[in-house]
Amino acid sequence: MSSDALAGVTHFLRRLGGAVTGSISRLGFASRFMLAIVWHSPQALRRFQLTIREVYFAGVLSLVIILMSGLFVGMVLSLQGYETLKRYGADEQLGILVALSLVRELGPVMAGLLFASRAGSAITAEIGLMKTTEQLAAMEMMAVDPLARVIAPRFWGGVISMPLLAALFSAFGIFGGYLVGVRLIGIDDGAFWGQMKAGVDVWPDVTNGIIKSLVFGVAVSLIAVFEGYDAKPTAEGVSTATTRTVVISSLVILALDFVMTVFMFRGGGQ
Amino acid sequence: MPAAFPAESHHALTDTCHLDPDAAAIELVDVSFAYDRRPVLRGITMTVPRGKIVAIMGGSGCGKTTILRLIGGQLKPNAGKVLAAGQSVPDLDADGLYALRRRFGMLFQFGALFTDMTVFENIAFPMREHTDLSEELIRDLVLMKLHAVGLRGAAQLMPAELSGGMARRVALARAIALDPMLVMYDEPFAGLDPISLGVVGQLIRKLNDALGTTSIVVTHDVYESLKIVDYLYFVSEGRIVAEGTPDKVRASTDRFVRQFVDGESDGPVPFHYPAPDYRKDLFADVQ
Amino acid sequence: MNRSAIDLWVGIFVAVGFGAILFMALKVGNLLTLDRAAGYRIEANFDNIGGLKLRAPVKAAGVVIGRVEAVRLNPKTYEALVTLRVDNQYAFSKDTIASINTSGLLGEVYVALDAGGDPVMLKDGERITKTQSAVVIEKLISQFLFDKAAEGGGGNKK
Repeated sequence: MSSDALAGVTHFLRRLGGAVTGSISRLGFASRFMLAIVWHSPQALRRFQLTIREVYFAGVLSLVIILMSGLFVGMVLSLQGYETLKRYGADEQLGILVALSLVRELGPVMAGLLFASRAGSAITAEIGLMKTTEQLAAMEMMAVDPLARVIAPRFWGGVISMPLLAALFSAFGIFGGYLVGVRLIGIDDGAFWGQMKAGVDVWPDVTNGIIKSLVFGVAVSLIAVFEGYDAKPTAEGVSTATTRTVVISSLVILALDFVMTVFMFRGGGQ
Repeated sequence: MPAAFPAESHHALTDTCHLDPDAAAIELVDVSFAYDRRPVLRGITMTVPRGKIVAIMGGSGCGKTTILRLIGGQLKPNAGKVLAAGQSVPDLDADGLYALRRRFGMLFQFGALFTDMTVFENIAFPMREHTDLSEELIRDLVLMKLHAVGLRGAAQLMPAELSGGMARRVALARAIALDPMLVMYDEPFAGLDPISLGVVGQLIRKLNDALGTTSIVVTHDVYESLKIVDYLYFVSEGRIVAEGTPDKVRASTDRFVRQFVDGESDGPVPFHYPAPDYRKDLFADVQ
Repeated sequence: MNRSAIDLWVGIFVAVGFGAILFMALKVGNLLTLDRAAGYRIEANFDNIGGLKLRAPVKAAGVVIGRVEAVRLNPKTYEALVTLRVDNQYAFSKDTIASINTSGLLGEVYVALDAGGDPVMLKDGERITKTQSAVVIEKLISQFLFDKAAEGGGGNKK
């Protein structure tokens, strides 16, 4: 191999190795960061007003997009599901199809993705901006720990909001499915709700859905506050951090969803 | 303006922070600091006596803000001692640092006001966080501080609605909210119009004398500094290259001081960034 | 936004969110499986359980009264040991018949309990003695073909 090519390969490998070790050390830093947040949380929860404010900004302000998306997803599910079920003469199972899809998977996952893009990115941008304008440093110099006062409330605000948003997504989705299935298409009202009730179990379906949304809430909130705290203190840095929050949160949600589904819903076999 | 919190009666002083009432407010002894491998400060020695205003001057990126961070305990020096009223700052534990910072006030560049709170709430912030005062008392104190900087009527505005000069003054009021023992100013004159420059300069002097505090001003505004400070230090490439009272500085023959004070484009701080020989560079491609 | 408005909205949000969770728990799902511990266990042995799965329903007269809790193979008799958990409010006699049925042709497989006349009831941990295994379609078909072949062969031999 010529010396140029060798140098090129070495350079590439060095960069790759650097990227890998960089990512791993970032992961380590993020874990310590999470522990620090949990450690400082009692203070944040004592000043509950701060956390309530964050629940408002993360949860309440996400309501519009969550409810609308839930409604439309439910309606589309109903529409598409009906076509396929009809072919097997199982159109009365539409209720179960819509409910199970939403409660087990679509509710937590889609609410998580939407939450990451709307609330997660907002949290990252806010914290990143506070870092850039030295507000966090000012707080530190005033002997107020920014972890307790700024970061932890936003983290818990996200964790509290997520399961509620996921439940609302599923509920509105089921309602949308009802609107299309019963009102539009004309499936029997009793069959829709009756089959649904028989087929959806509170344990494991509903509770696992809630557990999933809680896990997603923790993941997205942690990523959002971390990226904001770690952002480079420039306009470009904040913008990069915001994008990272959305991308990494989405990937983590989907990966965690797979892992959790494997553990939760293996009940098909023996 | 009477001090609401006489310096020695802070209930915050506990065993973790022993402040010596006779020592100088701040002392740096042969302090060195490097960011990763890049040395920023090499052997800095300076003293800030109680009740005086000291200016730290130098070009951009020469380590002035680093000195403030070392004093505030945000950074630890690689070598040397950083003493606040006789107490070594890097050796303090979390509680001690906490107690020390409650005695400090800091004015950040461009203010660093909390954008989600009103002017009133910004100034009330340190009071609410560190004292158990009633809301009525806090209200009175905040209005007093605002009155001292001339912005009592702006109490309910949001930081976004303030001009640069006003924001700076509000940040000043916040910095002195708890009547600190030391106030640090990071580029307080940056980007201000001439009137605001004069106002801020006067406020720094008046408040320092009225409260009996000590002030450190990091800046490169020579004109304003010479008007109000008691002593100046000039920092270049991590070292102190000159120091003295305003009169001494004005009369100084030191080349660095002269270049800085007179604003000359070339001198000890060179005009040209290091580059290869001009002729060689221009004719590089011509064989 | 002042404090009280924020508090109000957050309160509404949390209330509505919990309402959605309750809605799903009560109107969408069925709570039967929540009281898993509030039932007693019955064992039953089958030659063949067909497609019976864990958590399959246990029905009596078509009404769901329990779930299949465990399925194991008896290594000595090579029979299937099925543990059923039945709701506490229903008692079954000792001579109850347990059979494995399919709801519809392609529906789910479940265990049907037919109560008998014995005045003594089954208690927690006891075994049903009369069981009827699942109908395995392949065996049915091969049986049918075998019978048909025997009929035709016998007829031809005459």
